[in-house]
Amino acid sequence: MSQNNMLAMILAGGRGSRLLDLTNKVAKPAVSFGGKYRIIDFPLSNCANSGIDVVGVLTQYESVVLNSYVAAGGRWGLDTKDSGVFVLPPREKADEGFNVYRGTADAISQNIDFIDTYNPDYLLILSGDHIYKMDYDAMLEYHKEQNAELTVAVRPVPWKEASRFGIMNADESGVITEFQEKPKEPKSNLASMGIYIFTWKTLRKVLIADMKNPESSHDFGNDVIPEFLNSGKKLVAYKFEGYWKDVGTIDSLWEANMDLLGKKSELDMSDASWKIYTEDVSTPAQLIGKNAVIDRAYITQGCIIDGTVRHSVLFTGAYVGEGAVVEDTVLMPGAVVEAGAKVTRALVADGIRIGKGAVVGSADSENITLVAKRVKGEE
Amino acid sequence: MAKAFGIITAASNRYVVEGMQDYRPISSFSFAGRYRLVDFPISNMSNSGIDRIQVYISGNPRSLVEHLGTGRHYNINSKRGKLQLLFHDEGNINRLYNTDIAAFMDSIEIIERIREEYVIITSSNMVFCQDFDAFLDQHIKSGADVSLLYHRVDNACDAYHGCNCLNLNRQKGVLGIEVNMGNNKDRNIFMDTYVMKKSVFVDIIKKAAKTSSMYHLPKAIETEVENYDIRGIHHKGFFAAITDLKSYYDANLSLLDFEAAKSLFDSKWPIYTQTTDSCPTEYFEGASVKNSMVSNGCIIEGTVENCVIGRGVRIAKGAVVRNSVVLAYASIGKDVVIENQVIDKWAKIIHANEIKSDASKPGYIRRDDTI
Repeated sequence: MSQNNMLAMILAGGRGSRLLDLTNKVAKPAVSFGGKYRIIDFPLSNCANSGIDVVGVLTQYESVVLNSYVAAGGRWGLDTKDSGVFVLPPREKADEGFNVYRGTADAISQNIDFIDTYNPDYLLILSGDHIYKMDYDAMLEYHKEQNAELTVAVRPVPWKEASRFGIMNADESGVITEFQEKPKEPKSNLASMGIYIFTWKTLRKVLIADMKNPESSHDFGNDVIPEFLNSGKKLVAYKFEGYWKDVGTIDSLWEANMDLLGKKSELDMSDASWKIYTEDVSTPAQLIGKNAVIDRAYITQGCIIDGTVRHSVLFTGAYVGEGAVVEDTVLMPGAVVEAGAKVTRALVADGIRIGKGAVVGSADSENITLVAKRVKGEE
Repeated sequence: MAKAFGIITAASNRYVVEGMQDYRPISSFSFAGRYRLVDFPISNMSNSGIDRIQVYISGNPRSLVEHLGTGRHYNINSKRGKLQLLFHDEGNINRLYNTDIAAFMDSIEIIERIREEYVIITSSNMVFCQDFDAFLDQHIKSGADVSLLYHRVDNACDAYHGCNCLNLNRQKGVLGIEVNMGNNKDRNIFMDTYVMKKSVFVDIIKKAAKTSSMYHLPKAIETEVENYDIRGIHHKGFFAAITDLKSYYDANLSLLDFEAAKSLFDSKWPIYTQTTDSCPTEYFEGASVKNSMVSNGCIIEGTVENCVIGRGVRIAKGAVVRNSVVLAYASIGKDVVIENQVIDKWAKIIHANEIKSDASKPGYIRRDDTI
């Protein structure tokens, strides 16, 4: 808290059901991304790199893996005396029944007591399932400069897609005048990224009123932001131009991985001044065999490759046997492609084995083939 | 287990690795791309349930101290256990006097205070996996006073020069310890790894310190063959001894054999190291990589064959790197051809067109050099 007096809360309770079998046993923020990371490494590393010391992670759906993963705050350097990553699933409280989180705002309301123990000036609300690099401290500077009570990070989206987002209409000085949730006829193309900096005192009052309001759906987009606007509080938009991706579906998760293969990836994972931190695994460096052909790939430690890999991303411990061909494909941690198998335009889930000589996916499929069950090969 | 504590000695002062050693002690040498040599003995101990470990440091300690840190990454119980760094004052102008015995005597009070009944001593210039719990069990069952770990080799004429060898009788009793001069191809190479009761250890080093200030532990042990029951225990699996630049180069490249790599890197016996949080490696169009071990954070646009590549190495378009060990953050420029080299950290090879050496005598390019 000593660094900028801002506490971060990451909303990580959603299942991400459009990720199908990938989120059967883990919540979306714990899904693997980019060879060696999990999605939630991005907001957590951004926090660590932005000088935020205390991060609460609000979990709900299938939270066992996620809870134990984020609780090891040392991975992001958030384990000194005054810092920490706190796992905050719904809990039973005295004189109240056991509540689930009824909405994004309710998840914060139910943890007012936790936030109060740190008495922050500012509260940063983040989503646990977006891929981007952002300096929240620069956003906080903007919030202070503008003397705002709420700053919303926005990014321009193509006009034809604007009706899929929460759209912020702002004047020239950046003050938000109107908020439209998924408008049919958008007046602006500035979409909310679900990243908010609130002046905590103001938000606290609004949340307490919101909890008592039977009409409210306890959601930031539906209830809290409109309430801020209606009561004449100062809202400003903070424009973000860098790489940002919501990996909500198998196709978009695959695409975001493929983005790492761009000529110069916009995400620039190799930038040493803004590293993304993750779990440290004890596997040796990648082993490339005598028969390997590697043409445009993003490969991490622990992989063993003796086949052909083209335009693909290989996660920790993936294996490609002799004569196998992996093309336009994402192999998640521990995925095995046995000798002679052919995998095209697919996303192979954690630890899945594709047997000898099997053929999976096709170059002209409309959607990416998700392989979440073992594929038998020649015996 | 916790019946033994561990000692990891600095490599013997007999071993000189040309160039590399000017910058760091052998314990701190990079190995297999992402490790340092000291990671292997510490992980062996950690995996064997030894959580009190002493690392003896001599020579320029900066990189080693930075790498070991608090020891947390070695999975040592931070409450019950301890990774202790012991610096041996190398005040002696004549390096012959900077012996392991002298280092132990510097810390004799610390050693005497340790509660564990047994001690396992190993050296960080020997690369292998060994379950030290099994080693201790075998030692206790045999009834010996001291057990020494050895590896049987059939190429001692061409390699392992300067290593100690055990002369054993049929019952694996140690008759003598001698330096390998390369005159016999079948040898029991001593892995500088011992197990004994702490009381025996203290007795032997105290006696040795009185007898000669040039004694090393192997010599001290050898002089005790009449007084103590000293036996050999046979090691199987991957083994490499880093004693000079050639052996360092060979040991790295030997891991390009999948089977050798599998025997050293068993997922049930993890080797721990300090993470640098580097991102995965990017292979660009036109890259060609074969028979190589590649660490994370590299950018590869050229050709790499039969190499071990450290973290964050850049290999530009048209560059060809063959049969080489490239340490972290080195950079090989456009169209440069490299063969049979050890390229130290942060070196940049930009202007030279071709750097080739004979495989029997690999070349060395210094740290931070720009060529």
